[in-house]
Amino acid sequence: MILPLIKGLATTLRHVFSKPVTLQYPEEKRPVYPRFRGHPELVVNEDGTRRCVACTLCMVVCPSNAIKNIVPAEGPEHEKYPTQFVIDLTRCIFCGFCQEACPKAAIKLNNLYELAQYQKEVLILDIDRATQKKSEMRMPDWL
Amino acid sequence: MVNLTIDGRAVQAEPGKTILEVAKENGIFIPYLCFHPALKPIGSCRICVVEVKPGPPRPLPACATTVAEGQEVVTNSDRLQAIRRELMKLVLINHAIECPICDKGGECELQELTHALGIDQVDLKAIALPPNHDYESDLIERHPDRCITCGRCVRICRDHVGAMAINFMNRGYFTELGSGRVPLDCEFCGSCIDICPVGALINKQFKYRARAWEVDKTMMVCPFCGGGCTYELHVKDGRVMRVYNGDSVLLCGRGRFGYPVVEAEDRLKTPLIKENGKFRTATWDEALDLVSAKFKEIAAEAGANAIYGIGSPRATLEANYLFQKFFRAGLGTNQLDNPGRLHYLKAVAGLAEVFGWPKVTEVKAVGKTLPPYHSPLAISEETKGSGFPFVLGSFEELAQADLVFAIGADITPELPPLGWAVNKARQNDKFKLILANPRTTKYDRWADLSLRYKPGAERLVLAGIMKALLAAQPDRTPAIASGNLEDLQETLKKFGPKELATKCGFDEAALFEEAATLLAQAQAPAVIFGVELLGQDKAEQTVMALADLFLLIGRPEKPGSALYPVAEKANTRGVCEAGVLPDRLPGYLPLDDQTAAAFWGDKPVIKEPGLDLLAMLDKLETDDPAAPQALYALGGDLLRFLPNRSRAEKLLGKLKFIVVQDAFLNDFAQMADVVLPVAIHAEQEGSFISSGGSLGVLNKALDADGVKPDWQIISELGAKMGFPAVPGSPVRIFQDLAKNVPLWAGLAPGKTVGSGIPATLSGKFAPFDLDISLPGRRPFTLIVGKVLQHSGSYTTHHPCGTLVVTPKGMLALHPEDAASLELAEGDEAKIISSHGEITAPVTLDANLAQGVVFLPEHFAEPAAHMLTLNSNLVRVTIQKA
Repeated sequence: MILPLIKGLATTLRHVFSKPVTLQYPEEKRPVYPRFRGHPELVVNEDGTRRCVACTLCMVVCPSNAIKNIVPAEGPEHEKYPTQFVIDLTRCIFCGFCQEACPKAAIKLNNLYELAQYQKEVLILDIDRATQKKSEMRMPDWL
Repeated sequence: MVNLTIDGRAVQAEPGKTILEVAKENGIFIPYLCFHPALKPIGSCRICVVEVKPGPPRPLPACATTVAEGQEVVTNSDRLQAIRRELMKLVLINHAIECPICDKGGECELQELTHALGIDQVDLKAIALPPNHDYESDLIERHPDRCITCGRCVRICRDHVGAMAINFMNRGYFTELGSGRVPLDCEFCGSCIDICPVGALINKQFKYRARAWEVDKTMMVCPFCGGGCTYELHVKDGRVMRVYNGDSVLLCGRGRFGYPVVEAEDRLKTPLIKENGKFRTATWDEALDLVSAKFKEIAAEAGANAIYGIGSPRATLEANYLFQKFFRAGLGTNQLDNPGRLHYLKAVAGLAEVFGWPKVTEVKAVGKTLPPYHSPLAISEETKGSGFPFVLGSFEELAQADLVFAIGADITPELPPLGWAVNKARQNDKFKLILANPRTTKYDRWADLSLRYKPGAERLVLAGIMKALLAAQPDRTPAIASGNLEDLQETLKKFGPKELATKCGFDEAALFEEAATLLAQAQAPAVIFGVELLGQDKAEQTVMALADLFLLIGRPEKPGSALYPVAEKANTRGVCEAGVLPDRLPGYLPLDDQTAAAFWGDKPVIKEPGLDLLAMLDKLETDDPAAPQALYALGGDLLRFLPNRSRAEKLLGKLKFIVVQDAFLNDFAQMADVVLPVAIHAEQEGSFISSGGSLGVLNKALDADGVKPDWQIISELGAKMGFPAVPGSPVRIFQDLAKNVPLWAGLAPGKTVGSGIPATLSGKFAPFDLDISLPGRRPFTLIVGKVLQHSGSYTTHHPCGTLVVTPKGMLALHPEDAASLELAEGDEAKIISSHGEITAPVTLDANLAQGVVFLPEHFAEPAAHMLTLNSNLVRVTIQKA
């Protein structure tokens, strides 16, 4: 009769001294795996310029029409670059096709997953907000 | 027909066709790179190799091998695929992989072929070649590092356009296509862009603006010259991205690069009403109410004849037809004409004098419903046609002519497609070209005989040639039934050959004999005459001389042997055939024609002809009571094209009320009391008749921003004036028009007027006036004419692409004349005639004869017609300004 009780208390006691499983979200964030598919963002070179050449292949391949309004322009060295690029995260299904289609590795999915918002407009990213600021980008940086 | 098998499939083919053509017809895919349907095959890329039995053991190029009876063709064996893949890898060694930014990406033949052949890696290496990009040329950008040296651009430029601006440089692996490392200095037609299978030649106006798959495509006819080319208009987000012609490729610069005119900054968007000498914007209702009230008032006061109408060669057939219906059935007057009076109608008058007005009998109405823009009249077995339209040729037929006699025409600037047709005819070894022009023109380099006469001496040249012809063959029987040869001989007796030669400015009379010999030998001679000739005073006399010559030498039963007058603008021929004439109904039917009643419902046709454009101005000058008081113009800047501008300005100023329907507030529109903005180009539907007589259809591809198409304005104005309702769409208006024009029986988009109608041609030789005197004693003869990059004043509005190449009007002078006047390139010169003076910058041009100068008429400044009197030729004095 008493034996099972002691068994149970022993289990409890054992867990008192082990590391807790629960994550204190949102104070603590769960790290994600490197191949986790967050939302797409435009990659910048080390000098801070965008790699995108506005070829629109991501827009073509996007199955949910989340990428739109890519406006191309010609630079002084005859390079092609976008002056507008909209990623609509309310439509994005995080499939990663855009990253796969991009011939310039200019768009990639990051590791961010906190996308819940009170205002829809916040989730429609224009070119500046869709561009990564630095490699270790966190949520508050861009929202 | 020959029988052969392709990949085991038995097919029948016409003898003489190539294996590639036959395979394509039968839906069998053979890849190719250097071949293009518009070009002759050269078999250089070898991608199209096929195995042919019986034949040599090696594979043969399908594009250059003709089909034969019993042939067995294999298009897709392992061996062939291996050859193709290897060849493709060689092509790809040095190809810049810029597909993401290359405008050709998505429609690139190399891209598609690489994909089709499954090449994912090129394991060959070679030294990298310098890219040698050309960003400097106007309108066209070149990327030799993307080039696959297929030579298509070289062939289209050399054989079809005749500009020879691009060629192979270096040899072997180092071969590059270019213009000698300098920016292009060519006709800027851009045909090389559309024929390039890769992105080595790029349209600067289209560069980076859209990807190939993003555009909406609309087929339409070109709205600029009278060539009637059709092209695809590519539109993205309501803006025109480019003009593309993938099939026949050829377009001229204004067609390909002129489209931005539709977005011109100075386009009118709302109707304007003039109050106290100043324009104010108005609503459509307000403007149309005012016009209708004024017209009613003037018609009540002074009769319907007090309102005069001027049609437009830029407006569609439908708009022009409604316009003349507005006057004839609505107002009840024949007071209308069109600007073709200054050139094309002179050809019509001269030809009608010799060959008669058109008459087509026994056409049947088609019972069933028809596709859009098809004539509701059909040709039956009893159909017979006669009259001058049947001696006019189409451009396709011109290619079969074995001699072209071009007089008074700078062919390429006036009508580029006519030049391409001549180039096509040149491919024939036996082809002969006689070129008569006061200036050296592009085609002189291919001419077997060049006749450089004094400006205005065309009739004497023709008289000399006919004299020599009749002297050599006094009993020549013309191929066309003809009479009154004595009348012609009487005319020709006036001058001897020597005298004629001196008057023409020839060194010797033997030139006449040479021309006559060539003309007499020709089996299918064609005669081209242009606006340079037609713009002259008494040009109808010159046309009669030309018609006489054609009666002597023409063989109308042979395709290509015909007359080719240049109709300058998109619908110059159409506006005349749609009946915007004071003395003729649609289809050139006379006013008292029996069938004409059907046009007007219960309203009879007014039998009394109206005044023509020039007679109307004369009446205004004398303040004649028959002079009109109000003018309704369908568009076009009358002041820019009417000779003697200051007189025209003064006379048109006498009118009490002017309504102008135009897209721009041009100088003439400035004089108007009401200006109604119209839809142009791809903002409207409708049809045009080209210079060669083919029917071209405009399709709507753009939204009209506040403006309305011409036909709609006319029909709304008609409704306000209480005229009977008209059909409510261009398609139905066309049917309404075509059902009354027997000449158009069987007409459909792409078909030519009068084709398929069995015609009996007859003519009577007409005597013509041999007096060519040009008034005045000033030292230079000025020719006011056309330049290649512009069509009327239409293309002179920013941001039209061709303005990059020809931004302004310049006075062309012979270098020696310029030296004697101490003028250098770019200097301002003062040009003085008896009627006015203007200043213009000078350009040197050795193609002009000494004593002859040239000024284009397209531009607002310099206003060339300040100088002229009644012709495009005028004697002038030139000074340093």
